[in-house]
Amino acid sequence: MQPEGKSALSQNLSVYTIPNSKKNKLWRRMIRNWELYLFIAPAFLYFLIFHYGPMYGIQIAFKNFIPTLGVTGSPWVGFDHFIRFFNSYYFWDLLWNTLSISLYELAIGFPLPIILALAFNEVKDSFFKRTVQTVTYAPHFISVVVMSGMIITFLSPSSGMIVNLVEALGFQAPQFLTDPAWFKTVYVLSGVWQSAGWGTIIYLAALSGVDPQLHEAAVVDGASRFKRILHINIPAIIPTITILLILNMGSILGVGFEKILLLQNPLNMGSSDVISTFVYRSGLVDAQYSFSTAVGLFNSVVNAILLITVNQIARRTSENSLW
Amino acid sequence: MKKLRKASSIVLCLTLSAALLAACGSNEDGGSATSTVEGVKKEGFPIVDKPLTLKVMSQDAGVADWNTMPVLQEMEKLSGIKLEYQLSPIDSFETKKNLVFASGDLPDMFYAADLKPAEQVTYGTQGILIPLEKYIDEGYAPNIKKILDENPDVRKSFTTPDGHMYALPFIDTAAVWYRGPMWYNGEFLKALNVEEPKTTEELYTYLKRVKEEDPNGNGQQDEIPLTSVKLDDLRMYFFGFWGMYNEGIYADKDGKVHYPYQEEGYKGYLTFMNRLWKEDLLDHETFSQTGDQKKAKGESNKLALFNDYHPYFTLGGEPSTKHPLMTPVKSEIADSPVYGKHPGISARGTFAITSSNPSPEATMRWIDYMYSYDGATLFNQGPEGLLWKFKDKENLVKEWLPVPGGGDREEYRGKITPNYGILTPGINDPDIAKGLRTEFDEWIDQQNQEKLVPIGKSPFPNVYLTNEEQSEATALLSDLDTYVKQMEAKFVTGQEPLENWDKYIAQIKKMGSDRIVELYQGAYDRWNTGQ
Amino acid sequence: MSTAVKESRSDKVFLWCNYIYLTIALVIVLYPLLYIISASISDPKFVSSGEMWLLPKGITFEGYARVFENTNIWIGYKNTIIYTVVGTLVNLMVTLPAAYALSRSDFVGRGFFMAMFMVTMFFSGGLVPSYLLVKDLGMVNSMWALILPGAASIWNIIVCRTFFQSTIPKELQEAAHIDGCTNTRLFIRIVLPLSMPIIAVMALFYGVGHWNSYFSAMIYLNDSSKYPLQLFLRQILVLQEMAAQGGGAIDTSSATAMNSKAEIAALIKYAVIIVSTLPVIAIYPFLQRYFVQGVMIGSVKG
Repeated sequence: MQPEGKSALSQNLSVYTIPNSKKNKLWRRMIRNWELYLFIAPAFLYFLIFHYGPMYGIQIAFKNFIPTLGVTGSPWVGFDHFIRFFNSYYFWDLLWNTLSISLYELAIGFPLPIILALAFNEVKDSFFKRTVQTVTYAPHFISVVVMSGMIITFLSPSSGMIVNLVEALGFQAPQFLTDPAWFKTVYVLSGVWQSAGWGTIIYLAALSGVDPQLHEAAVVDGASRFKRILHINIPAIIPTITILLILNMGSILGVGFEKILLLQNPLNMGSSDVISTFVYRSGLVDAQYSFSTAVGLFNSVVNAILLITVNQIARRTSENSLW
Repeated sequence: MKKLRKASSIVLCLTLSAALLAACGSNEDGGSATSTVEGVKKEGFPIVDKPLTLKVMSQDAGVADWNTMPVLQEMEKLSGIKLEYQLSPIDSFETKKNLVFASGDLPDMFYAADLKPAEQVTYGTQGILIPLEKYIDEGYAPNIKKILDENPDVRKSFTTPDGHMYALPFIDTAAVWYRGPMWYNGEFLKALNVEEPKTTEELYTYLKRVKEEDPNGNGQQDEIPLTSVKLDDLRMYFFGFWGMYNEGIYADKDGKVHYPYQEEGYKGYLTFMNRLWKEDLLDHETFSQTGDQKKAKGESNKLALFNDYHPYFTLGGEPSTKHPLMTPVKSEIADSPVYGKHPGISARGTFAITSSNPSPEATMRWIDYMYSYDGATLFNQGPEGLLWKFKDKENLVKEWLPVPGGGDREEYRGKITPNYGILTPGINDPDIAKGLRTEFDEWIDQQNQEKLVPIGKSPFPNVYLTNEEQSEATALLSDLDTYVKQMEAKFVTGQEPLENWDKYIAQIKKMGSDRIVELYQGAYDRWNTGQ
Repeated sequence: MSTAVKESRSDKVFLWCNYIYLTIALVIVLYPLLYIISASISDPKFVSSGEMWLLPKGITFEGYARVFENTNIWIGYKNTIIYTVVGTLVNLMVTLPAAYALSRSDFVGRGFFMAMFMVTMFFSGGLVPSYLLVKDLGMVNSMWALILPGAASIWNIIVCRTFFQSTIPKELQEAAHIDGCTNTRLFIRIVLPLSMPIIAVMALFYGVGHWNSYFSAMIYLNDSSKYPLQLFLRQILVLQEMAAQGGGAIDTSSATAMNSKAEIAALIKYAVIIVSTLPVIAIYPFLQRYFVQGVMIGSVKG
């Protein structure tokens, strides 16, 4: 049925063809793949309505938003909010803290799920395997409020069990909770603890797409497990790794505020105050939508620049990139 | 006269209806915007002839469904007004309220509204909240009017610079505390055989003895003389020892406005706290512990001095009179100690009526009930016969009944009334609790009268800044407060030597602390002259 | 799974190292989880003071009893289950087809759609315009306000697309086309069955996202009868933190109320955590079998 239809169509098209054969091919492809447009329609509509629809709201970053006047009626203030942000006594500290926490998280938190996933993959499906997997992925669900409570309890100078452990090993336990030098480490390591297991899921899914025949062939060739992982498994998940890395770079200024807020205190503030907590504090005092939108916009622009840059790098050096 | 009043109220209502139709009020019910004002009675119940439904937005402690609460059902029966609830958990109310304002999706009224002065000014001048004083003065709120007439300060404190009242306060003329006070562990005092310290030196000596002499008698040096959570809980109380009435802007007895963090008294406070820290008399976990951990220390009897609403909250057990309220101590500052006393009205507006309300008169009558003895009783204690009954109706003496189903009375109360855990409109009339007060309550009163009231003064009235002033103040304060808090911690723990005081002062002046004083002095003067 | 080939010595060593590594990971992660379980049946006093550190102390089941008596918890459970199931279905129906379309190199306009989607990752209008939109669509206080605004996540679409690109071989698709298969048939009959791992992953990601979400519910829902579990949970947890601070109470009645709430909250905090997370954790083993290697055997040959 189809082939005849196709040739009939291409016959017709060849009669009425515009001299440019490239365009002709384009049209043909579009028509042949018409169903793909249906496939993408729901997502397209979704983004159009729910993301582009409200996007006019960005302008309030440049306005002084007054609810009764609405977004369009509120007066313009140009870059006032941005200037206020940049002039803040704490601007550079905030920027530095936000960036360094993000990069720290990336450096430790990114490779770990990969290694863990590769390790899981080597184990035969068994009770042990399933237990370890289920257990490591459980912390992901702990709410941030409970998590912070636990961190404070475990690191409490007088009764925390980690402190006890360190002292039992003969070391002087540092002030984990109040020393600014320790804040980032505590934040990042607890975050890794919470999310490493969960992070393996996507890699496991990718690994399951590896053709076992490749492994069989390699074993026959005498390759050790380690070599096999290096040459078969890892290349199989490189696309996933690259994409996730790019995406992570693109949210580098987006350090969430809840967990930080709960772990923050006046003594470690120099190291723990980030852009989002600053906006939360100053934004909440007077429902300062305009100000927080402006800062959010700043964040977005920086993130976008980073993402594009990293994507270009990825494009040049590998076949994998977002676009 | 009455006819004229009626006519003008009809005109008012029609104007409001016109305004309602012009605005984008999407009110499903109560949208019968055509006048219901003829049916609104100025006295007695029910309030309306024809059934009226109003949408109310409020905070919710999440204990029970408001539709099932006996108090609200009773109120509906009485008033003839049915309510539709738009509720929000307490911690997200601020966000939701702002969203409601920003989007124009307004309820008819806000209950437990938590409206800051800035919000009242902003939304009042924009017309989203309507002026209330005309309804009060026209007789739709006899109870409120009486209170306002007897207490002109209240009206003054809730009238914005443009001359209108956009919100109602919670009035508690007997209130003394702004937040929980400091308490001594009475057992420790007894064990060491001391009277309460009267000066900061005596306090220091006592705390040192607590640390060294094992007053809890367990043979271990595990006592923690003074503990706190980030100093937020005790700061205001301690500031009083050095002559400062508040941990924020305050006005002294001569009407001069101060920002405490640049005062000499503050230096005294920091020096003292640093001394306590150095000698391990101030809990080194102060800056990192949670309230839970502090409570645990109290329950294992390690604390000598701590902050809480009632001592038994931290120490555990039942209310008892053996733990005295801390008598504020005198420091090297002249005119100390002082105490920032509660002004008797809430700082924030607890109730407001929006521009989409179809019947402000009826709403006013509805809320006015809460400012009466009967209404306050109903909403605080529930309907008669449930948790309480009259022992002597003539003299309005009540007594508690056993809690239905056993269990904690406070918990049960949360299921029957919305006034639980949130700041609601109304009054706290001492009469309401006649017969219901315990020995403990009486004892607290007596402690207050003895130790706090004589040196107490309200730190700062409810003032309104103009919009520009408010923006400037907010911008300055947000950075200032962060800096001050950080430096406080550094000075107290010794990370920053107190010799650097002058550098610190120079920095905060650079960040605008004097300007803050200027702004608030202006607002205070305006308030004082009644403008 | 693997054929019975003799394992070399170095491989054995490697395998053992692997096991040790995983066991260490297990212990590190397991300990705090055991802590939570123990805390849920311990007297809160011992938990806050740090006296309880592994095994439960002052064993009491009152926490669980109260949780199960609390009608809010059950309402929350019911709502959360509904929102999660419906929400995830919607998510899958939007994400999978779109990701597949984007993975086809012969899809004209691919770059355009990709760019259009990606822009939304950075720029958004903010809370107020979004709220207005939802209001105008009449979805306030309804389940759809929780589901439709989150119908797809660009992140997930990208990950999904990457999976399709790297696991479904081009030859397969070309072969199908030559055989006269339409795109739809190709997608439903061939691609989807081969993509069970990624479908499982997507279902898990989206499902958990719905299960844990509270912000949308907080903003758009007014009726407590529609609240999901997380909202009730937060009320309990956050309130406990606030109340335990002790300061800032406005009047005696509020303070006493908050104190009594805080005590109850301390009791049930950990029990609620467990009760609300257990169901999701329990699902994982069932999805696990889709991750089995070799799901593609025979596809290219066939």
